[in-house]
Parts: sequence; structure tokens; C-alpha cells
Amino acid sequence: MSILDYNGAAIMAMKGKDCVAIAADRRFGVQAQTVSMDFDKIFEMGPHLYIGLPGLATDVQTVSQRLNFRLKMYELRENRKIKPKTFMSMVSNLLYERRFGPYFVEPVIAGLDPKTFQPFIASMDLIGCPMITDDFVVSGTCSEQMYGMCESLWEPNLEPEDLFETISQALMNAFDRDAVSGWGAVVYIIEKDKVTKRLLKTRMD
Amino acid sequence: MALGSICGLQTMTKLNSSLRENCNLLNSQDSAFVNEAIYGSENFVTPRDIDILSNQKNLTDKDSNVKIHFDHGTTTLAFKFKHGVIVAVDSRATAGPYIASQTVKKVIEINPYLLGTMAGGAADCSFWERHLAKECRLHELRNKERISVAAASKLLANTVYNYKGMGLSMGTMIVGWDKKGPGLYYVDSDGERMKNNMFSVGSGSTYAYGVLDSGYKWNLSVEEAYDLGKRAIYHATHRDAYSGGVVNLYHMKESGWIKVSQTDVKELHYQYQEEKSRRR
Amino acid sequence: MTERYSFSLTTFSPSGKLVQIEYALAAVSAGAPSVGIKALNGVVLATEKKQKSILYDDQSIHKIDYITKNIGMVYSGMGPDYRVLLTRARKLAQTYYLTYQEQIPTAQLVQRVATVMQEFTQSGGVRPFGVSLLVAGWDEDEERPYLYQCDPSGAYFAWKATAMGKNHINGKTFLEKRYSEKLELEDAVHTSILTLKESFEGQMTEDNIEIGICNQDGFRRLAPSEIKDYLASVS
Repeated sequence: MSILDYNGAAIMAMKGKDCVAIAADRRFGVQAQTVSMDFDKIFEMGPHLYIGLPGLATDVQTVSQRLNFRLKMYELRENRKIKPKTFMSMVSNLLYERRFGPYFVEPVIAGLDPKTFQPFIASMDLIGCPMITDDFVVSGTCSEQMYGMCESLWEPNLEPEDLFETISQALMNAFDRDAVSGWGAVVYIIEKDKVTKRLLKTRMD
Repeated sequence: MALGSICGLQTMTKLNSSLRENCNLLNSQDSAFVNEAIYGSENFVTPRDIDILSNQKNLTDKDSNVKIHFDHGTTTLAFKFKHGVIVAVDSRATAGPYIASQTVKKVIEINPYLLGTMAGGAADCSFWERHLAKECRLHELRNKERISVAAASKLLANTVYNYKGMGLSMGTMIVGWDKKGPGLYYVDSDGERMKNNMFSVGSGSTYAYGVLDSGYKWNLSVEEAYDLGKRAIYHATHRDAYSGGVVNLYHMKESGWIKVSQTDVKELHYQYQEEKSRRR
Repeated sequence: MTERYSFSLTTFSPSGKLVQIEYALAAVSAGAPSVGIKALNGVVLATEKKQKSILYDDQSIHKIDYITKNIGMVYSGMGPDYRVLLTRARKLAQTYYLTYQEQIPTAQLVQRVATVMQEFTQSGGVRPFGVSLLVAGWDEDEERPYLYQCDPSGAYFAWKATAMGKNHINGKTFLEKRYSEKLELEDAVHTSILTLKESFEGQMTEDNIEIGICNQDGFRRLAPSEIKDYLASVS
């Protein structure tokens, strides 16, 4: 069993019409044992920028903190908000610095450009190879299931409400076929002038 | 017919007239196969030139390159009390972290007075408990009375003991009602057989024991016992990643077993959650 | 004892001055004049490139160079020191691109070059740079031009227009009279030539001045033939 699967996680992001969504499960477990059901795996990196970090829980927290540090330094130094794509490069760099002793996280990034509000989603492997897509990205212990759900539910130009329904159904039905993720879920819908956070009522087994 | 003769179909037409008669025409090895097809058999087919004992090691060893994932994740429990025996089980089947099914029947209905539970290898449990059902029925026919729970469980224990070290994987509880009253035995593939008032088996068993131990009394009412069984399974499914689905609840009485309920643990979770908030 | 330790040459005088830096600035003031003007749609850099002998090949060595595709630089002062800074600036720009996959903003580059220059006023075993820089850039993100000056002390300023080197006082006075907020790049090129002409000794030709322009298409050094055309139109 890979260290990436030690704690269990399921995260995905989707593009909609002038909006993006990012969603994650809430389980923190140690192999088969579920320890808590309110574990954060999605982190706010700006008013329109979020990162999801599935993988080894200790690295999830370390990486989020180190990214926060680098991001704050960037925004102070340059006196401007970071663009999602630039942020992706920052994450990629952080991970590749540990090429020979990696952080066990495979990030998912979702956000809107701070000026143009263009939707952006991307995912990355644990040593920082980025992948930008126009539809959806998934990462976690049930990625096969998530790909299956996204592949069949997602369609272009979804309005925020429909995007919420799509990503929620895709995530829930994916992790309901995974033993080590689930136990509640959180969904962020990111629009130009508001971000909506919702907790989902899910199976708890 | 020309095509038939080229293919050597003649022997086949002979077989059609009467299977039993024609068995004699076949050589001894062939007739063994025919007998097997008609009556079923425990003559397991083994690969040639392979030592079963060492070969099984390949299949079950953790470090082996050959991986057969036997179904291990489960929570099952049974306990005796004043009004009989309660049996409760979850319904999840997993292959690694993948959930293969949420609707597995882990209580095997051996006969109206005997139940078996399933933990470990699903195929091993269902096959040997079906085999046990046959033996129990034969006992009834021979002795004109129902087999005792002690005897039934020992039959199973002896059978699996014959296969010890060959990779069978089962942890089962045999529950029944006989002349002595309610019966509850634990039998596993190591050949172990135990009698007690309470058992829980499977990866979620520790969680179930926790709930069971804190709520168990001999004098439990029927409803209280049902609730305890359900709660114990629910809490196991909640904490154990490899248990889940529905709770199947059985009650063994003097008149035989009844299936009490089948409840989705999602319903139970939010029901218990509400009870908790009301108490506060 | 003294040879076992390496102290910074730049040491405070009792009156609180860092004389080494003042000497460096003196080297700048003695250097060839250079001019920078920011227009609405771009920036121009211009400098005098007088050779001591007619035997020099004056088209193979340049005083104006680009750092990234939309940032360029010129100097007044010591040529060799400038080339050290040019190399450092290019490296800084590429490092930035490598981490963010994005062109470095002019302000960021200037800030980082200035940091390098400051470090040379405080580190052991080194001396301050004998140059002042003019950095011209076009920011793709903000779609606007920038003009910065960077001094040996590490101080940097954003200008609308400025002059450095020999006769920079006259140059600035001239620019103050000629500068307009509504200047277009073409006019700015003319103004820059006129500013250099203020103090130019002898005949100005396409071979003894250098001009670089920066607009939304990026930074580019003008070819001698283009400079010749500009010279023809100003005289």
C-alpha cells in the first residue's frame, strides 16, 4: 500500500461557465481506522484561489503552510494578487525541490484570474508535474471512480448551481465505492463576486 | 450427420439416452467427472506437479508476488441473552480499498434452527457452511432429530481442520437453538472452536465489542437487544473503513430464527445523530 | 591581523557619509551621458557612444542591451561593471521565469538588481559598482511602460524622463522644459536625441549614439539606418 493511500482522500475540481468548483471528502483515517470526519484538505490561497491537497495528512498540512508562506512573500514583494497559473508554477517548484524525497501530496488547483476572472483548474503529481485541463481534474485514493463519475456527469458551460450539483454527485458516488475516503464532503463554488462553501450530508461508513 | 461423425458425435448421442448407463462405457477417470457433475463433490481439482501446501503460501503470503485478495473486511457479532441469540452483521465486500459490494448477505441460513456468519473468505464460508447444511440434514434423517448446535459447530470445525495450512480463511459464528436452549459457537479456519455468550468477528470487531460490552446485560429486553446489535454494527461501520452498507439483524428463538431487520447504516447514523442532539 | 579578515571597503566616515559610494557616483557623473524618456506607448533609452579612435569597430560593442524580451538597459559609468550587472540581471530574470513561468515585471527586476548593487556596498572584499543604470520595460500584465534608474548605492527611482552621466544637470533641465505627459514614443525618440545634442561635442552620427526603444512589441535596439533617419529629421 502506497504512503499516498495511508490516510485516504478524494478531491476534484471542475470548470463551469464563469465559475469553478473544488470539492473534497473530510475523512482523516489511519489505514482502516477512521479518526476524524472534519479534516480540511482544501485551503484558501486567495479570494478566488483554492488548492486541494490529497495524500499523506502530515504533508498536506506542511505543504499548505509552506505554500501560504511563499504566497504571502510573493504578494508582499510584488504588491499584487497572484494569478492561478503563476500559483501553479509556485506549487510545482515547491514540490520539485523535494524531487528525491517528495511530499506525498498530489495537488488540485482551482481559481479565477484576479483581473480577468477566467476560470482555471489544474492538477499535479507529487513531484510537481502540472496538468491544466478545460473540464475537470481529480486526485486521491479513488481517482478511477472519480474519473468515471466526472466523465459521465460533466458537461461544458454549467451554471454555478448546476456545477454544484454535478461536482457533489460525482464526488459522493465516487467515494462511496472507496473504503478509505468519504465521511462527509465539502464543496466550494467560486464565482466572480462570491464563493459558496457547502458541507454535504453523506454516508458515514 | 456427416459433420457429426467427423466430429465424433456418436459417443455424445449415446450419452443422451441415459447418463447413468453410459457412465460405464467411459473410463474410470471420465466417470468420476460425470459423477461429480451429477452429485457434486469435495474432490478438489489440483494443478498437476504442484505441492498444494507450498503453493497456497504463494497465494496468501503478504510478501508474495501473486496476489489474491481474499475478502477480509467485515464486522459480525452475535450474543446470547434472556430471549435467545442476536446475530447482526454488516454487508460490505472489499477488494483492497475498492468497495466491491454494499449488499452482501453475511448471515448464512443453514436451516430454520441454525445460522452461520461470514468473515474472511466469502467463498470458503459459503461453501463450507453449505456443506455443513448438508451434513446437518443427513444427521436429521439418520437420527430422526435435529442436530445440536455443539455438534453442528464441531462438524464444521473438524471439516476445516482437515484443510489446515491449505489457505482456508474463515471466522464464523454458528448460532442455533437445540434441546439445551440457545447455542453460540465461534469456529475459525485454524480449527479453533469456542463457546461463549458473546462474539464479534472481523476487522470491525473491536469497535463492535466496545459498544457491546458497554450495553450488554443478560436481562436485555428483545427491543433493547435488537438496538444493541444494530448500534454495535453501526459504530463498527462508522470507524472501520472495511465495514459498511446495511445491518442485517437476526433473532434466534426457540421456534427458530427470524430475520428482524435490514437497515442502511446511513439512516442509522442520522437517527443516532439526532438522538444525541436531543439528549443535549 | 588585518590580512586575516576581510572588511567592507565601504565604511562610514565620521560625518555619516559613505565616501566610497560618493566616489562611485562621481565615476558615473564622469561617464558618457545617457537619457531615458517614458512616453504614453513606450520608453526610449539613448546614449552617447564616442570612440577614442576611428580604428574601433563601433558596431560590435553595445551600451544598450536587453534583459528579457521586453526589458532593456543602458548605463553611465564603467563599462566592465555594467556587464557584470547585465549578466546578473539576465540571470535574475530567467530565475524568475523558471519559478513562475511568467515574465518578470520591470519593478521586480529593478528591485532585485538594486539588491545586488546594495550588497556590493556592504560585503567584504568588493567595491561598489561604478555605474548608474536606466532600465526601460513594458509590463504585459499592466500594459504600460516603466522607466527606472538604479544607483551604485542600491537606491532606485521611477522616472518620467531623466538624464545621467556627464552634463546630466543640463540634460534634466532640458527635459523638464521639453517633457509632456501626452508624449508619443516617436516624439520621445526625437526629444532624447535633442537632449544628447545639448552637450554633444562634435558631429552626432548614427555610429556615435545608440538608441533603444521599448513598447508593447518588446525591447529593441535601433539599427544605425533607423538612427540615421531620426537624425535627419531632427536637424
